[in-house]
Amino acid sequence: MKALERYWFGDIALGRPYLLLRMVLALLAFDTWLNMMPEGAKYGVGGFNVAHFPWFDDFVPSSGFYLGVLAFTGVLALSQALYRPHRIAIALIAMGYTLGWSCSLLDSVPYHYLLSLYLVCFVFFPMLSARAAFSRSDREPRGSVPAYVLFCVTTAIVYFYVAAWAAARGESYWLPMACCVGYLLVSMQDRVALPAVRLLAPMLVAAPLTFHLATPQAGWLPLYMTGIALLVFSPTQWVHAFGRALTQPARGLLDETRPEEGGLDERASQVFYLSLFGLVVAPMLSMFVDLPGVKTGCSLTAIAMLVVMGRQLYFTPRWRPVWRVASLFAGCLALLLTVSASDARLDYYLEGALDADRRGDTEAALMFREKAERYAR
Amino acid sequence: MASFETEPPPPQPSGKARRRAGALIAAFVLLQFLIPLTYLTRSDTADERFTWRSLSTPTAPACETEASLERTDGERESIAPDKLIHRDWVTYVEHGRRAVVEAFLQKQCEADGVVSVALLNRCDDERGVREYTLRCGGERAHETIRTAER
Repeated sequence: MKALERYWFGDIALGRPYLLLRMVLALLAFDTWLNMMPEGAKYGVGGFNVAHFPWFDDFVPSSGFYLGVLAFTGVLALSQALYRPHRIAIALIAMGYTLGWSCSLLDSVPYHYLLSLYLVCFVFFPMLSARAAFSRSDREPRGSVPAYVLFCVTTAIVYFYVAAWAAARGESYWLPMACCVGYLLVSMQDRVALPAVRLLAPMLVAAPLTFHLATPQAGWLPLYMTGIALLVFSPTQWVHAFGRALTQPARGLLDETRPEEGGLDERASQVFYLSLFGLVVAPMLSMFVDLPGVKTGCSLTAIAMLVVMGRQLYFTPRWRPVWRVASLFAGCLALLLTVSASDARLDYYLEGALDADRRGDTEAALMFREKAERYAR
Repeated sequence: MASFETEPPPPQPSGKARRRAGALIAAFVLLQFLIPLTYLTRSDTADERFTWRSLSTPTAPACETEASLERTDGERESIAPDKLIHRDWVTYVEHGRRAVVEAFLQKQCEADGVVSVALLNRCDDERGVREYTLRCGGERAHETIRTAER
């Protein structure tokens, strides 16, 4: 193999993409619900909108549309973080999330674009089970994951430009440049043939940690980047030990791979009806969220899950469809609990009331204020 | 009982798969390098999207805007953007974000009997005082820089 091929296709510890994918998806779910949903009241006001891309120019997203997209993205993301992600689901999350921010300049948070790039990388990640990523022995499973290297290079490019623009303005640029170099090197740390890189790489984590914790940044970016840096730069053994502890319950789930029970049997129909029942009931939880578009968003998530399960739902006499539906249920429940326990819903209605007051729309202001009073604590 | 040992890791990609993946990776990386460079060709320097010029939301200068439209009978009428669109859009308009200014002016032209629309923005920073006028039916608003600094 040539050096460039070795760089992109060399082995990495499979625990890293496993944990990275799940951590980013879980954070993204709560980020959309807690930070993006309260902004939803701005959408569609006065029938005015300017999108990030010209192909959306004639489309004015309403707050219901925006919140629906966020509910869909968040619930699907959390369900995929909780149980064995599926490539189609990740692609749908990437599309939903990108649609969410790109449909209006009202969302111009720089890291939302970065998350879309990450989600594109995730589509090509191996969809590993906990057992595939973390063996029972101390041996860390490794494999070629070019999409993981692409993820690291994508991050390095972001730091490169942060450093380059800072240099152009005459500001200090060494810290983001150190982050850039770190991310370019770090994907090689799991290769047995490069012990020096293995020793050096974990020390490079200091650069992104310092950069994100010491400089003010938008929203949850420091949270994402700190988590990513810790997973990407930590020594393989640490990642493996952490992953094994974290996935202990998942690895202990009812076994899915019993070859002697293959084929259709009586249990298949039980699993089928149980899964179908779950798919219908889970989105019903969103009725209690009381935000426009959320019911539609959650129903679409259930449909997406049905697509993801496909033939598996009927033809797999295993527990996998049940776990998938359980993860959807957990996603919908988490949305309900997050919205109920936080100020996200209250902020949405307060923002709506404030804006309607400003525009002299007394009817809308009254509706928003009534809802805000209901959810004020 | 099935083994609880690891499932096999993803297989090493074949030569053909590697070439295909390599082409995709090259295109994705190239795009990521090129997109931030488009900032250098943008006429609107306030538009820093997709460039990584800043990872935080920049502190906005204090600006204010006045809008007016001219009707077919020659009468000039001032309008309050605050009453028409959300406050966040008004902030974009005040800061002279070109795409939003254009869309706002075009939107006002949609009303019956409007001949032209004008915006006057005053900012505390280097943007100074700028005027944008759009003759309805025209493609692009005309920008006039009245002063460099307030």
